[in-house]
Amino acid sequence: MRVVCIIPALNEETTIERIISEALKHCDTILVVDDNSEDRTAELSLQAGATVVRHILRLGTGGALSTGFAAALKTDYDVFLTMDGDGQHRPDEIPVVLDPIVKQEADVAIGSRFLKHPEAMPLLKRMGNRALSIATSLAIGTKITDSQSGFRAYRRQVLEYAVHRAWDYRWASEILVLATKGNFRIKEVPVKAVYLPKRQRGANIKDGFRILYSTIRGTREKEGFTQGKR
Amino acid sequence: MEPYEIAATAFGIIMLLFTTRELIRRRIGLLQYSLWMAVWVALILVGTVPQFYYALILVTQALGMLTPIHFVTTFSILALFAATYVLGKRIAELNEKVNKITQHIALMNTNNKKKKDRHS
Repeated sequence: MRVVCIIPALNEETTIERIISEALKHCDTILVVDDNSEDRTAELSLQAGATVVRHILRLGTGGALSTGFAAALKTDYDVFLTMDGDGQHRPDEIPVVLDPIVKQEADVAIGSRFLKHPEAMPLLKRMGNRALSIATSLAIGTKITDSQSGFRAYRRQVLEYAVHRAWDYRWASEILVLATKGNFRIKEVPVKAVYLPKRQRGANIKDGFRILYSTIRGTREKEGFTQGKR
Repeated sequence: MEPYEIAATAFGIIMLLFTTRELIRRRIGLLQYSLWMAVWVALILVGTVPQFYYALILVTQALGMLTPIHFVTTFSILALFAATYVLGKRIAELNEKVNKITQHIALMNTNNKKKKDRHS
Protein backbone atom coordinates (compact mmCIF):
# COMPACT_ATOMS: atom_id res chain seq x y z
CA MET A 1 0.00 0.00 0.00
CA ARG A 2 1.61 3.26 -1.14
CA VAL A 3 0.97 6.37 0.91
CA VAL A 4 1.20 10.02 -0.09
CA CYS A 5 1.20 12.59 2.70
CA ILE A 6 -0.45 15.91 1.81
CA ILE A 7 0.49 18.91 3.95
CA PRO A 8 -1.32 22.23 3.42
CA ALA A 9 1.13 24.89 4.58
CA LEU A 10 1.06 28.61 5.19
CA ASN A 11 4.13 30.35 6.61
CA GLU A 12 5.48 27.20 8.28
CA GLU A 13 9.23 27.73 7.78
CA THR A 14 9.97 26.98 11.42
CA THR A 15 8.40 23.51 11.42
CA ILE A 16 7.98 22.23 7.87
CA GLU A 17 11.44 20.65 7.40
CA ARG A 18 11.16 18.61 10.58
CA ILE A 19 7.61 17.51 9.75
CA ILE A 20 8.63 16.41 6.26
CA SER A 21 11.73 14.49 7.35
CA GLU A 22 9.78 12.68 10.09
CA ALA A 23 6.77 12.01 7.86
CA LEU A 24 9.03 10.51 5.16
CA LYS A 25 9.78 7.66 7.60
CA HIS A 26 6.14 6.54 7.28
CA CYS A 27 5.00 7.77 3.85
CA ASP A 28 6.29 7.12 0.33
CA THR A 29 6.12 10.73 -0.73
CA ILE A 30 5.25 14.12 0.71
CA LEU A 31 3.22 16.71 -1.15
CA VAL A 32 3.28 20.19 0.35
CA VAL A 33 0.64 22.63 -0.87
CA ASP A 34 2.07 26.05 -0.17
CA ASP A 35 -0.88 28.42 0.18
CA ASN A 36 1.06 31.48 -0.96
CA SER A 37 3.38 31.69 2.06
CA GLU A 38 5.37 34.86 2.59
CA ASP A 39 8.29 33.00 4.12
CA ARG A 40 10.60 30.18 2.90
CA THR A 41 8.08 27.35 3.37
CA ALA A 42 8.20 26.29 -0.30
CA GLU A 43 12.03 26.34 -0.59
CA LEU A 44 12.56 24.49 2.68
CA SER A 45 9.96 21.88 1.74
CA LEU A 46 11.73 21.24 -1.57
CA GLN A 47 15.08 20.95 0.22
CA ALA A 48 13.56 18.48 2.67
CA GLY A 49 12.50 16.22 -0.18
CA ALA A 50 8.85 17.09 -0.70
CA THR A 51 7.04 17.85 -3.92
CA VAL A 52 5.68 21.39 -3.68
CA VAL A 53 2.53 22.71 -5.30
CA ARG A 54 2.39 26.47 -4.91
CA HIS A 55 -0.70 28.72 -5.00
CA ILE A 56 -0.18 32.17 -6.46
CA LEU A 57 -3.03 33.42 -4.26
CA ARG A 58 -4.10 32.34 -0.78
CA LEU A 59 -7.10 30.01 -0.97
CA GLY A 60 -7.43 28.68 2.57
CA THR A 61 -7.06 25.20 4.06
CA GLY A 62 -9.92 23.69 2.06
CA GLY A 63 -8.51 25.10 -1.16
CA ALA A 64 -5.00 23.88 -0.39
CA LEU A 65 -6.28 20.38 0.35
CA SER A 66 -8.41 20.38 -2.78
CA THR A 67 -5.29 21.20 -4.82
CA GLY A 68 -3.35 18.53 -2.93
CA PHE A 69 -5.98 15.88 -3.59
CA ALA A 70 -6.18 16.83 -7.27
CA ALA A 71 -2.38 16.59 -7.60
CA ALA A 72 -2.20 13.31 -5.67
CA LEU A 73 -5.00 11.75 -7.71
CA LYS A 74 -2.85 12.18 -10.82
CA THR A 75 -0.41 9.71 -9.27
CA ASP A 76 -1.02 6.05 -8.44
CA TYR A 77 -0.90 6.19 -4.64
CA ASP A 78 -3.45 4.09 -2.76
CA VAL A 79 -3.76 6.04 0.48
CA PHE A 80 -3.81 9.80 1.01
CA LEU A 81 -2.80 11.07 4.42
CA THR A 82 -3.34 14.69 5.43
CA MET A 83 -1.70 16.52 8.30
CA ASP A 84 -0.93 20.09 9.34
CA GLY A 85 2.41 21.71 8.68
CA ASP A 86 2.55 23.70 11.92
CA GLY A 87 3.56 20.78 14.10
CA GLN A 88 0.14 20.27 15.70
CA HIS A 89 0.05 16.69 14.43
CA ARG A 90 2.86 14.36 15.38
CA PRO A 91 4.42 12.50 12.42
CA ASP A 92 5.25 9.54 14.70
CA GLU A 93 1.48 8.98 14.99
CA ILE A 94 1.06 8.53 11.22
CA PRO A 95 1.04 4.70 11.59
CA VAL A 96 -1.81 5.03 14.12
CA VAL A 97 -3.93 7.00 11.62
CA LEU A 98 -3.05 4.64 8.76
CA ASP A 99 -3.81 1.52 10.81
CA PRO A 100 -7.60 1.26 10.12
CA ILE A 101 -6.95 1.65 6.39
CA VAL A 102 -4.16 -0.92 6.34
CA LYS A 103 -6.30 -3.38 8.32
CA GLN A 104 -9.23 -2.74 5.91
CA GLU A 105 -11.40 -1.60 8.82
CA ALA A 106 -12.22 1.79 7.33
CA ASP A 107 -12.04 3.90 4.19
CA VAL A 108 -11.55 7.15 6.10
CA ALA A 109 -9.52 7.27 9.31
CA ILE A 110 -9.64 10.36 11.51
CA GLY A 111 -7.02 11.16 14.11
CA SER A 112 -9.22 12.36 16.95
CA ARG A 113 -7.80 14.82 19.46
CA PHE A 114 -10.66 14.03 21.85
CA LEU A 115 -10.06 10.34 22.38
CA LYS A 116 -6.77 11.06 24.12
CA HIS A 117 -5.92 14.17 26.18
CA PRO A 118 -8.73 16.50 24.98
CA GLU A 119 -7.72 19.03 27.66
CA ALA A 120 -4.71 20.01 25.55
CA MET A 121 -7.00 21.95 23.21
CA PRO A 122 -7.86 25.52 24.25
CA LEU A 123 -11.30 25.63 25.96
CA LEU A 124 -13.13 27.79 23.41
CA LYS A 125 -11.89 25.69 20.51
CA ARG A 126 -12.79 22.52 22.40
CA MET A 127 -16.38 23.74 22.93
CA GLY A 128 -16.79 24.79 19.31
CA ASN A 129 -15.27 21.56 18.08
CA ARG A 130 -17.61 19.50 20.27
CA ALA A 131 -20.66 21.33 18.90
CA LEU A 132 -19.55 20.84 15.29
CA SER A 133 -18.71 17.19 15.92
CA ILE A 134 -22.22 16.61 17.32
CA ALA A 135 -23.76 18.30 14.27
CA THR A 136 -21.56 16.26 11.90
CA SER A 137 -22.35 13.03 13.80
CA LEU A 138 -26.07 13.70 13.42
CA ALA A 139 -25.58 14.50 9.74
CA ILE A 140 -23.69 11.30 8.92
CA GLY A 141 -25.30 8.94 11.43
CA THR A 142 -21.97 7.88 12.95
CA LYS A 143 -20.50 9.17 16.20
CA ILE A 144 -17.55 11.43 15.46
CA THR A 145 -15.65 13.08 18.30
CA ASP A 146 -13.39 15.31 16.20
CA SER A 147 -15.00 16.29 12.91
CA GLN A 148 -12.55 19.16 12.35
CA SER A 149 -9.36 17.14 12.62
CA GLY A 150 -7.02 17.57 9.67
CA PHE A 151 -5.01 14.48 10.60
CA ARG A 152 -6.72 11.90 8.39
CA ALA A 153 -6.13 9.06 5.99
CA TYR A 154 -8.33 8.31 2.98
CA ARG A 155 -8.48 5.38 0.68
CA ARG A 156 -8.03 6.61 -2.91
CA GLN A 157 -11.60 5.67 -3.90
CA VAL A 158 -13.02 8.03 -1.27
CA LEU A 159 -11.38 11.10 -2.78
CA GLU A 160 -12.25 10.03 -6.30
CA TYR A 161 -15.88 10.07 -5.16
CA ALA A 162 -16.04 12.87 -2.58
CA VAL A 163 -15.02 16.13 -4.20
CA HIS A 164 -15.30 18.85 -1.61
CA ARG A 165 -16.16 22.38 -2.73
CA ALA A 166 -15.35 24.46 0.35
CA TRP A 167 -12.21 26.59 0.20
CA ASP A 168 -12.19 27.26 3.95
CA TYR A 169 -12.54 25.12 7.11
CA ARG A 170 -15.88 23.67 5.98
CA TRP A 171 -14.03 21.01 3.98
CA ALA A 172 -13.58 18.83 7.09
CA SER A 173 -17.28 18.14 7.66
CA GLU A 174 -18.11 18.30 3.98
CA ILE A 175 -15.88 15.35 3.09
CA LEU A 176 -17.33 13.25 5.90
CA VAL A 177 -20.90 13.91 4.71
CA LEU A 178 -19.91 13.04 1.14
CA ALA A 179 -18.03 9.90 2.21
CA THR A 180 -21.09 8.73 4.13
CA LYS A 181 -23.28 9.29 1.08
CA GLY A 182 -20.87 7.10 -0.85
CA ASN A 183 -21.22 4.37 1.82
CA PHE A 184 -17.56 4.62 2.83
CA ARG A 185 -16.62 3.55 6.36
CA ILE A 186 -15.29 6.14 8.79
CA LYS A 187 -13.27 5.30 11.88
CA GLU A 188 -11.57 7.45 14.51
CA VAL A 189 -8.29 6.69 16.21
CA PRO A 190 -6.81 8.58 19.18
CA VAL A 191 -3.99 11.01 18.52
CA LYS A 192 -2.29 13.59 20.64
CA ALA A 193 -2.19 17.14 19.29
CA VAL A 194 0.47 19.66 20.18
CA TYR A 195 -0.68 23.25 20.78
CA LEU A 196 2.02 25.87 20.71
CA PRO A 197 0.81 28.93 22.66
CA LYS A 198 1.97 31.49 20.12
CA ARG A 199 0.75 29.58 17.09
CA GLN A 200 -2.93 29.10 17.68
CA ARG A 201 -4.68 29.22 14.35
CA GLY A 202 -7.72 27.44 13.09
CA ALA A 203 -11.41 28.06 12.69
CA ASN A 204 -13.00 30.95 14.58
CA ILE A 205 -16.62 31.44 15.70
CA LYS A 206 -17.68 32.75 12.27
CA ASP A 207 -16.14 29.68 10.62
CA GLY A 208 -17.97 27.53 13.17
CA PHE A 209 -21.37 28.87 12.12
CA ARG A 210 -20.48 28.48 8.46
CA ILE A 211 -19.44 24.85 9.03
CA LEU A 212 -22.66 24.19 10.94
CA TYR A 213 -24.80 25.72 8.20
CA SER A 214 -23.04 23.91 5.36
CA THR A 215 -23.21 20.57 7.23
CA ILE A 216 -26.98 20.88 7.68
CA ARG A 217 -27.41 22.06 4.10
CA GLY A 218 -25.18 19.32 2.69
CA THR A 219 -27.16 16.65 4.52
CA ARG A 220 -30.46 17.99 3.25
CA GLU A 221 -29.36 18.08 -0.38
CA LYS A 222 -30.16 14.84 -2.18
CA GLU A 223 -26.93 14.80 -4.16
CA GLY A 224 -24.73 16.23 -1.45
CA PHE A 225 -22.35 19.12 -1.94
CA THR A 226 -20.77 17.96 -5.18
CA GLN A 227 -20.04 14.50 -6.38
CA GLY A 228 -18.26 13.21 -9.41
CA LYS A 229 -14.94 13.34 -11.12
CA ARG A 230 -12.38 15.99 -10.31
CA MET B 1 -31.68 78.32 -12.94
CA GLU B 2 -30.74 77.78 -9.32
CA PRO B 3 -27.14 76.64 -8.55
CA TYR B 4 -28.33 73.17 -7.48
CA GLU B 5 -30.20 72.79 -10.79
CA ILE B 6 -27.04 73.66 -12.75
CA ALA B 7 -24.96 71.23 -10.65
CA ALA B 8 -27.52 68.42 -11.03
CA THR B 9 -27.81 68.92 -14.79
CA ALA B 10 -24.04 69.11 -15.32
CA PHE B 11 -23.37 66.06 -13.17
CA GLY B 12 -26.18 64.13 -14.89
CA ILE B 13 -24.85 64.94 -18.39
CA ILE B 14 -21.25 64.06 -17.51
CA MET B 15 -22.26 60.76 -15.96
CA LEU B 16 -24.60 59.98 -18.86
CA LEU B 17 -21.76 60.47 -21.34
CA PHE B 18 -19.36 58.48 -19.16
CA THR B 19 -21.87 55.61 -18.80
CA THR B 20 -22.51 55.59 -22.56
CA ARG B 21 -18.75 55.44 -23.20
CA GLU B 22 -18.50 52.45 -20.83
CA LEU B 23 -21.28 50.69 -22.76
CA ILE B 24 -19.55 51.38 -26.10
CA ARG B 25 -16.29 50.00 -24.66
CA ARG B 26 -18.27 46.97 -23.43
CA ARG B 27 -17.25 47.48 -19.83
CA ILE B 28 -20.87 47.36 -18.66
CA GLY B 29 -23.89 45.37 -19.83
CA LEU B 30 -27.12 46.67 -21.27
CA LEU B 31 -29.09 46.03 -18.07
CA GLN B 32 -26.60 47.95 -15.95
CA TYR B 33 -26.54 50.73 -18.57
CA SER B 34 -30.35 51.03 -18.58
CA LEU B 35 -30.48 51.32 -14.77
CA TRP B 36 -27.83 54.04 -14.63
CA MET B 37 -29.35 55.87 -17.59
CA ALA B 38 -32.68 56.06 -15.73
CA VAL B 39 -30.85 57.64 -12.78
CA TRP B 40 -28.95 60.19 -14.89
CA VAL B 41 -31.99 61.14 -16.98
CA ALA B 42 -34.01 61.66 -13.80
CA LEU B 43 -31.20 63.83 -12.43
CA ILE B 44 -31.05 65.93 -15.60
CA LEU B 45 -34.85 66.31 -15.56
CA VAL B 46 -34.81 67.47 -11.93
CA GLY B 47 -32.17 70.06 -12.89
CA THR B 48 -33.72 71.34 -16.11
CA VAL B 49 -37.42 70.83 -15.40
CA PRO B 50 -37.93 71.05 -11.61
CA GLN B 51 -41.67 70.65 -12.16
CA PHE B 52 -40.86 67.02 -13.04
CA TYR B 53 -40.18 66.38 -9.37
CA TYR B 54 -43.60 67.74 -8.40
CA ALA B 55 -45.23 65.64 -11.10
CA LEU B 56 -44.16 62.69 -9.00
CA ILE B 57 -46.83 63.71 -6.47
CA LEU B 58 -49.41 61.86 -8.58
CA VAL B 59 -47.34 58.68 -8.43
CA THR B 60 -46.60 59.02 -4.72
CA GLN B 61 -50.25 59.63 -3.89
CA ALA B 62 -51.26 56.58 -5.93
CA LEU B 63 -48.77 54.53 -3.91
CA GLY B 64 -50.09 55.97 -0.63
CA MET B 65 -46.93 57.97 0.13
CA LEU B 66 -46.99 61.42 1.67
CA THR B 67 -44.44 63.28 -0.47
CA PRO B 68 -42.24 62.61 -3.52
CA ILE B 69 -39.18 62.41 -1.30
CA HIS B 70 -40.67 59.31 0.37
CA PHE B 71 -40.99 57.74 -3.06
CA VAL B 72 -37.45 58.64 -4.05
CA THR B 73 -35.81 57.45 -0.81
CA THR B 74 -37.86 54.23 -0.55
CA PHE B 75 -37.20 53.12 -4.11
CA SER B 76 -33.59 54.26 -4.04
CA ILE B 77 -32.97 52.11 -0.96
CA LEU B 78 -34.73 49.14 -2.58
CA ALA B 79 -32.68 49.62 -5.74
CA LEU B 80 -29.47 49.77 -3.68
CA PHE B 81 -30.39 46.55 -1.84
CA ALA B 82 -31.01 44.83 -5.17
CA ALA B 83 -27.72 46.16 -6.57
CA THR B 84 -25.83 45.01 -3.45
CA TYR B 85 -27.32 41.52 -3.75
CA VAL B 86 -26.45 41.25 -7.45
CA LEU B 87 -22.91 42.53 -6.84
CA GLY B 88 -22.40 40.16 -3.89
CA LYS B 89 -23.50 37.23 -6.04
CA ARG B 90 -21.22 38.32 -8.86
CA ILE B 91 -18.25 38.69 -6.47
CA ALA B 92 -18.86 35.19 -5.09
CA GLU B 93 -18.92 33.79 -8.64
CA LEU B 94 -15.73 35.63 -9.57
CA ASN B 95 -14.07 34.50 -6.33
CA GLU B 96 -14.88 30.90 -7.22
CA LYS B 97 -13.38 31.39 -10.68
CA VAL B 98 -10.22 33.02 -9.29
CA ASN B 99 -9.81 30.12 -6.85
CA LYS B 100 -10.18 27.56 -9.64
CA ILE B 101 -7.69 29.41 -11.82
CA THR B 102 -5.22 29.59 -8.89
CA GLN B 103 -5.58 25.86 -8.37
CA HIS B 104 -5.21 25.14 -12.09
CA ILE B 105 -2.02 27.25 -12.33
CA ALA B 106 -0.55 25.53 -9.27
CA LEU B 107 -1.16 22.08 -10.74
CA MET B 108 0.06 23.12 -14.19
CA ASN B 109 3.30 24.58 -12.81
CA THR B 110 3.97 21.40 -10.83
CA ASN B 111 3.38 19.23 -13.94
CA ASN B 112 5.66 21.45 -16.04
CA LYS B 113 8.37 21.29 -13.38
CA LYS B 114 8.14 17.50 -13.23
CA LYS B 115 8.46 17.28 -17.04
CA LYS B 116 11.44 19.64 -16.98
CA ASP B 117 13.14 17.59 -14.25
CA ARG B 118 12.61 14.41 -16.25
CA HIS B 119 14.21 15.92 -19.36
CA SER B 120 17.23 17.39 -17.56
